[in-house]
Amino acid sequence: MNNGHTHVLLIEDNPGDADLVRLRLVEGDSAVDVNCVSRLADGLASLTKQPPSVVLLDLNLPDSRGADTFRKVLDHAPGVPVVILSGQNDEALAMKALHQGVQDYLVKGDITSAHLERVMRYAIERQALLRSLEMSRHQQLEFKNQFLSHVSHELRTPLTCIHQFVTILMDGLAGEVNPEQRYHLQTVLNSVHQLRAMIRDLLEATRAESGKIRIEPRCITIADLIQQAVSMMAATAKEKQVGLEVGLDSRIPFVYADPDRVLQVLINLIDNGIKFTPAEGSVLIKACIADADPNMVYISVADSGCGIGADARALIFERLYQDPNSADNNRSGLGLGLFIAKELIELHGGRIWVASEVGNGSTFSFTLPLYSLAKLLFPVVTYDGKLRDAMVLVKVELTPLPSISRAAWKEVCQQSLETLRRCVYLDKDLVLPVTGNIGFTETLFIAASTDLERAPVMVKRIREQLEAGAGFKAAGLLKVSASAVPLPAHEDGKALPDLVEAVADRITEMARLGMDLKPVPESGNGDASASKLSAAN
Amino acid sequence: MDKPKILIVDDDPDLRRALKIRLRANHYDTVQAADGYSAISVAQKENPNLIILDLGLPAGDGFVVLKRLQDSDTLSDIPVIVLTARDPQSSEQKTLQAGATAFFQKPADNNELLDVIRATLPNPWPGTALPS
Repeated sequence: MNNGHTHVLLIEDNPGDADLVRLRLVEGDSAVDVNCVSRLADGLASLTKQPPSVVLLDLNLPDSRGADTFRKVLDHAPGVPVVILSGQNDEALAMKALHQGVQDYLVKGDITSAHLERVMRYAIERQALLRSLEMSRHQQLEFKNQFLSHVSHELRTPLTCIHQFVTILMDGLAGEVNPEQRYHLQTVLNSVHQLRAMIRDLLEATRAESGKIRIEPRCITIADLIQQAVSMMAATAKEKQVGLEVGLDSRIPFVYADPDRVLQVLINLIDNGIKFTPAEGSVLIKACIADADPNMVYISVADSGCGIGADARALIFERLYQDPNSADNNRSGLGLGLFIAKELIELHGGRIWVASEVGNGSTFSFTLPLYSLAKLLFPVVTYDGKLRDAMVLVKVELTPLPSISRAAWKEVCQQSLETLRRCVYLDKDLVLPVTGNIGFTETLFIAASTDLERAPVMVKRIREQLEAGAGFKAAGLLKVSASAVPLPAHEDGKALPDLVEAVADRITEMARLGMDLKPVPESGNGDASASKLSAAN
Repeated sequence: MDKPKILIVDDDPDLRRALKIRLRANHYDTVQAADGYSAISVAQKENPNLIILDLGLPAGDGFVVLKRLQDSDTLSDIPVIVLTARDPQSSEQKTLQAGATAFFQKPADNNELLDVIRATLPNPWPGTALPS
C-alpha cells in the first residue's frame, strides 16, 4: 500500500460529489492523496501515467456511461483495484461489476468516512491477494511444463537403449533368432513404439497448453497426404481386418497447411477409427470443398464402429479424456490424441468436430484453409493503401548431389529455408510457401519489393548466406536468379485487393513458367527433374 | 582399404555399446568418448570421418563440442550428426546453426540414421573429389 500512503484516483464529473468524497477521505485517519478528474479519458490517461493505489469511479461521466465505464477502466489497468461510487442503488449492475473484476460497489448517499476508508483498504488488499494467486498459478503451470519436458527427456534415454538392443537382437547382430523369439521381440518393439508415441504426446500436449506449438504451413496437395496416411496405416488396418477406403474430390486446389501436422492428425483419426471398428468393418476418408465455405477444404474420417454417446461426444476433444465404455481399455493411450488434433487444426485456422450415433459409427471432420497467394502477399506488396513501386521474383534452386539420401537432403532443404527467411525483410519480402512435401529438387521463391537494379545485391546476399550454411556444399548445387514482376497499373480504378490478386496471379504464372510449380513427387520421377536441372547449371 | 571411422560421443555407456555393435555390423570402425572434453581429444588423436554427438554431456555439452570443432583448423570439416533425447523444436535449429549436419531425436530409426551416415560420408569410400 505504498508505505501506508494511499493514492486515490477519483473519476467523478459532479463537483459537489467530488468535494464530498474528498472531504470524507481527508477526514479519515490514514494518509491519503486524491487526484480528481471529471472525464473517463483523463482518468485512463492518469492510470497509465501514474498508477494509483485505488480508483473510485462514478459510472455516468460526460464521455462514458454505465457498465461501459468500468469495463474500460478494468481493460485499461487490470491490476488496479476499482471501487464504484454510484448514484443509483442498482443491485443487478453491482453484481455484473463484481463478476467482471470490480472490487466493490457503493451508493454515494450511504458513505461515511470510516466506511469508505475500510472499503478502500480491503479492496487494495483483495486485489493484491488476487495478483499473488494469479502469479502462483502461472508459476505452477510453468513448473508443470518444465517437469513434463524434463520427464519426457529422461524417459527417452532408457527407451533408446531398449530400442537399440531389441533391434540388435532382431537383426541377428548377436546371433541367430528363432521365429518364436522373433515374435516376442516384435512385441517388445511394438511396445517401445507405443511408449515413444506416448512420450511425444505428453510433450506435445504440454506445449499446446502453453501455446508453444509451431506450425510450418506450406502449399500442399491434400490428396497426396491422405494417400500417404492411408498407406502408413494399411498394415494396422489389415491386421484388424478393417477396410480403408478413400473418396477424393478431384477438384481440390492446394491447401495451406503444415504437411507433417496434418499427417499427424490424419493418422490419429484413422488409427482411432480402426481401433473402434470391429473386424469386417471399414474406415472411409473423404475430402471435398463444401459450398458453405469455399475457402476451406473439408476432410472427414468415418468409421463403422460402436459410435460415441452424447456425453462422451461433448468431452472427447478435452485433454486426458478417455471413454469409460471404450472397447479397447487395456491399451487406450493417454487420451491426448484428439486434444492435440484439435489444437493443431485450430492453429491452422480450421475446426474439428465429431458426429456420431451409438451403434452407427462416428465421423470426425475437420477443415483446413485453401492456399491463397494473394492473402499472403497483401501485407508485403501494399504500402500506405497502394501497391509498392516495384516487385522482383527471386528463384532459388537447390539441386541435390546424386549421393545424398532423402533424409539428409530434407535436412539441407529445411536449413536453407530457415536461412532464406533470415535473408529477407519481414515487412517487404515474402518467401513463398514451398509446394508439396520436400522432394528431390527444391525450388524456393521469394517475392521481394525491390527493383531489378537492386535485385543483384539481394541475389548475391542470398547465395552467400546459403553457401555458408553448414552441410550445403557437400549436399547440393545452388542457383539463384531474379526477374521483375510486371505490376498492374493503379489508375484503372481497381480496388487494392483486386490489384494484389492480379500480382499473385502473375507471380504464380512466372513461378510456373520458370520452373514447374507442381508438387515435387515423393519418390520415383525425382531423378528426371534433377538431371534436367544439373544440365541447366 | 580402411573402413570409415566414426566417433561416438555419449555419456551413456550402454548406448555407446549399442551404437558400436550397429555401426560395426555396417562396416564402420568406431571410437568413443563419454564427455565433451574427451570428445575433442579423441577427435584430435583418432581423426574420425564422422562424429555422432549427444547434446547433454558432462565436461562441456554438445554445443561446446560443436563450437570447438568449428573453431579448430583440423577438425572443422568433420561432419557431425547430433543424436539427443532433447526436443527437436527447441534444439534442432540451434544445432544445425552451430554446424551440425543432421539432427536425430532418440530413439532414432536405425535405417534413417544409417542413411544419413552413408550420405554424409564421401561416396564411394575413400573420398572422391567433391564438386566445388
